[in-house]
Amino acid sequence: MASKEVLIIGGGIAGMQAALDLGEMGIKVHLVEKNPSIGGKMAQLDKTFPTNDCTI
Amino acid sequence: MKDQSKSDIRIGVFVCDCGSNIAGYLQMKELVEYAKTLPNVAFVQENLYTCSEGGINEIKEAIPREKLNRVVVASCTPRTHEPLFMSACEEAGLNPYLFEMANIRDQCSWVHMREGDKATERAKGQIGMAVAKAARLRELSRIQLGLTHRAVVIGGGVSGMSAAMALGNMGYEVDLVEKQERLGGLLNDLNRILPANEPPSRLVEDLAGRIKDNPKISVHTNATVSKVEGYVGNFVVTIGKDGAESKVKSGAIIVAIGARVLKPEGLFGYDGDKVITHLELETLLKHGRPEAKDVVMIQCVGSRCRERTYCSRICCMTAVKNSILLKEANPDAKVTVLYRDMQMYGVENEDMFRRSKELGVRYVTFDPSMPPAVEEGHVRVYHLRMGKDIVLPADLTVLSTPLIAQEDAGEISTMLKVPVNENGFFLEGHVKLKPLDFATDGVYLCGSARFPSTIREAVSQGLGAASRAAGVLSKEALFTSGIVADINAETCCGCLGCVEVCPYGAINFLPERGVCQVNKVLCKGCGGCAATCPSGSARLDGFSSRQIYAQIEQALAS
Amino acid sequence: MGDFKAMVHRKARYVDQSRCTACGACAEKCPTKVPNEFNFGLDDRKAIYKDYAQGIPSVFTIDPNSCKVLQGGKCGVCAKVCQAKAVDYEQKPHDVELNVAAVIVSTGYELFDATQIPEYGYGKLPNVISSLEMERLLSAGGPTKGHLSRPSVIRGEARLKEVAKLIKKAEKAEDQPQLAKLQQEQKWLEEHIHKCHTAKRLGFIQCVGSRDFRFHKYCSSYCCMHSIKEAIIAREHEHETESFIFYMDLRTVGKGFEEYKVRGATVSNLKYIRGRVAEVLQDEDLNPVVYYEDTEQRRVVSMTLDMVILANACSPSKGITALAKMLGLELEENNFVKTHPNRPLDTNVPGIFTCGCAQGPLDIPESVAQASSAAARAAEVVMTGGRALAV
Repeated sequence: MASKEVLIIGGGIAGMQAALDLGEMGIKVHLVEKNPSIGGKMAQLDKTFPTNDCTI
Repeated sequence: MKDQSKSDIRIGVFVCDCGSNIAGYLQMKELVEYAKTLPNVAFVQENLYTCSEGGINEIKEAIPREKLNRVVVASCTPRTHEPLFMSACEEAGLNPYLFEMANIRDQCSWVHMREGDKATERAKGQIGMAVAKAARLRELSRIQLGLTHRAVVIGGGVSGMSAAMALGNMGYEVDLVEKQERLGGLLNDLNRILPANEPPSRLVEDLAGRIKDNPKISVHTNATVSKVEGYVGNFVVTIGKDGAESKVKSGAIIVAIGARVLKPEGLFGYDGDKVITHLELETLLKHGRPEAKDVVMIQCVGSRCRERTYCSRICCMTAVKNSILLKEANPDAKVTVLYRDMQMYGVENEDMFRRSKELGVRYVTFDPSMPPAVEEGHVRVYHLRMGKDIVLPADLTVLSTPLIAQEDAGEISTMLKVPVNENGFFLEGHVKLKPLDFATDGVYLCGSARFPSTIREAVSQGLGAASRAAGVLSKEALFTSGIVADINAETCCGCLGCVEVCPYGAINFLPERGVCQVNKVLCKGCGGCAATCPSGSARLDGFSSRQIYAQIEQALAS
Repeated sequence: MGDFKAMVHRKARYVDQSRCTACGACAEKCPTKVPNEFNFGLDDRKAIYKDYAQGIPSVFTIDPNSCKVLQGGKCGVCAKVCQAKAVDYEQKPHDVELNVAAVIVSTGYELFDATQIPEYGYGKLPNVISSLEMERLLSAGGPTKGHLSRPSVIRGEARLKEVAKLIKKAEKAEDQPQLAKLQQEQKWLEEHIHKCHTAKRLGFIQCVGSRDFRFHKYCSSYCCMHSIKEAIIAREHEHETESFIFYMDLRTVGKGFEEYKVRGATVSNLKYIRGRVAEVLQDEDLNPVVYYEDTEQRRVVSMTLDMVILANACSPSKGITALAKMLGLELEENNFVKTHPNRPLDTNVPGIFTCGCAQGPLDIPESVAQASSAAARAAEVVMTGGRALAV
């Protein structure tokens, strides 16, 4: 029986958004991240352009 | 509606340090001690980051342990974490609407950074007001709705086609509506596309072919959307074609109407013959022309100026692409590009930029305060690097003009109740984190209707919008917010004041009864109707007059 | 397509995820300090740590390379103070086998290592920093709580502490030559590092590693906006901030970007200077001195600044070649994941998609939009039961 699950390699902003979208559709996602936390480079940024929102 | 009597109210107050965002400027211990003195407060705790997994768990554990039936979090703006805190309450068995926030960050520590004690006093006031309201909160419930598992895509260019195809492949029925007689949009007018380096017809035919082969997708060309009724999950879209109208049901709508090229009437001697746009050049190139020997291209014509402040993103790469094609067709031709910044962002564009220089295309910077002058047979420009005027012979001048909003963008905006920005491009839910959503649920956005996009970006965004729509279409049922307005039909006099102020079109007048009624699904809980209603018939659940008066009294007392 | 077997190697955290409440007591008491990589060594972290406070999952992790116990020594303080009994030095890594219908590669990027451009002084001159180091300095949650302290001060003070310890050692050992050397260094540090504490005159050098035949020929697409943003935020933190951006083309191509750039100039005391920087040197007060060609005045000029921030290129991840080999993915010439020209999320392997910076330099809204796109492609595969979709 074909799997209905998706593997996402990399838990930065792109990986997280893809996981959220698929999760919203009811599809099971395995999000794999090499660092102890997800968030990637974006977690190291302070604010984002052009709205100057916090990245967290 | 269950509601506990006043003496049973037990409020838990969680005061957040937000790292140093709040704790760096306010006296946190004082706030904690103050909260303890407020009526009905049973438990107070200070957290480092209430939004973190640990902080959330502390709320969830405190609710049963301390027998809390109301929760107040004093932290950042509700716009960031209110839904998170509300679900924490719900997971702990507390109705999520028995929750209130005091924004002591954006509305206190951040704006009163240098006001020490005064800032702390203000935060105390905010916490007091939140507690006063919390004591008067009532349980609210959400409404469950069914939904139509179909979509409508407005616009059959490359972005709309990609969206339709993705949804069709996922198994949803799609109505793709295109106002022209064939699919393809702007691609039909182009000569060659990059990086595929092929005529655009190949891509259009490929997409159109796959759409035709998918029985789930119905294509309506020479058709327009003339009316949209309903709301997320339950839209009714009227499609007009050849004088006849048909209605389709849909759960989601994707706006993919694209954009059009500005015709620079009155700018730089534009005449459509010797001075043309790149779109017109594409048509000439398609037919093996032009035979120009001296071509001058001018960038930023009608963009990055007072009328249109934006950079249209795709014009530099279009100019470079066409300069390469001209040089390849006629290596002796002289091609000069007059520019302010060459916006060749990314990987493929820089490669193309380099290639054009290798072929001998020349690039000259000009200052917008000293724009080039297009004269008979030549273009005169102040060469910024050389510090003097130069004269370039030109038997063809090509102007890079921006993509501008479609003429019917405003109409679509009104029909769908979604906003456009000052340039007529649709305004997404959040520029960073919701680039393909609208603030209105159930409507999504992709391609140049949002902002000038390359073909790859348009395709990608079309797929992205499909994914966002699928998030709704894949559900069995939809739930609305509990914070919605309601109108007491007994006292409503039908003055229509509320209908006029509602920004979401969520209130209908029922002529047979002479009263107004709120569509709770569309209602976003803004409170405009409740504030306007002269008879007090309109009220906003979650923001009752009683609750607000209590906040005002608390604020004045402290 | 539709049927992939993946083996995921779960590294040991040495902390039981189901028990840890992230209270932080372990890190508070841990006696072992190491430079904090998250903050580029501008401060320290403990051997048991969390990347950043709001990190998900909210669990602490032990770094096996610095933990005394895991290195065979004596300690165990964290296990003692942990009330949840979550510390587990015996935890073993283990493999998890997954069976999936589709894969999305979203491994992001790496910051270009600017030590490869020695003329910019990165790694030698203390007040020449990378764009991400600047982000950490600007962050309220960062090593300086958002204050733009010059790295020469931060690292200088850390070095002073170290030198004081080494002097004591040398005195004990009666090592006169070493003592003299250290005392000289101590004197120099005390005289120089506090001359300028807060960086107010900032210089941003664009295209560091990008648009460069020696390294990456491509444009990293977001750095122009990134530097403008950093300059604007720096001014919000410190009203006297003055910034200069040295650029070739100022690429503000997104929605609202051109307006943001203009705002930088009119509101935030930002000056845009078109010209490449040839070299960054340093005066005796540790101030970076930038030599650049001002193309509008057509001459080479120098400018003394408090701090120089490099706009490092967006480089492909180091691990991408190994991952690509494992998955059979084609990489393009710069080592980003290659995608079909008209299907921007599809790789050469049906069922494997890519998004974000793994496929090329992108800013946040583009990455977010692309992520949704890749999700759509993966959903198409799942919902069609893994039937091959024409590539």
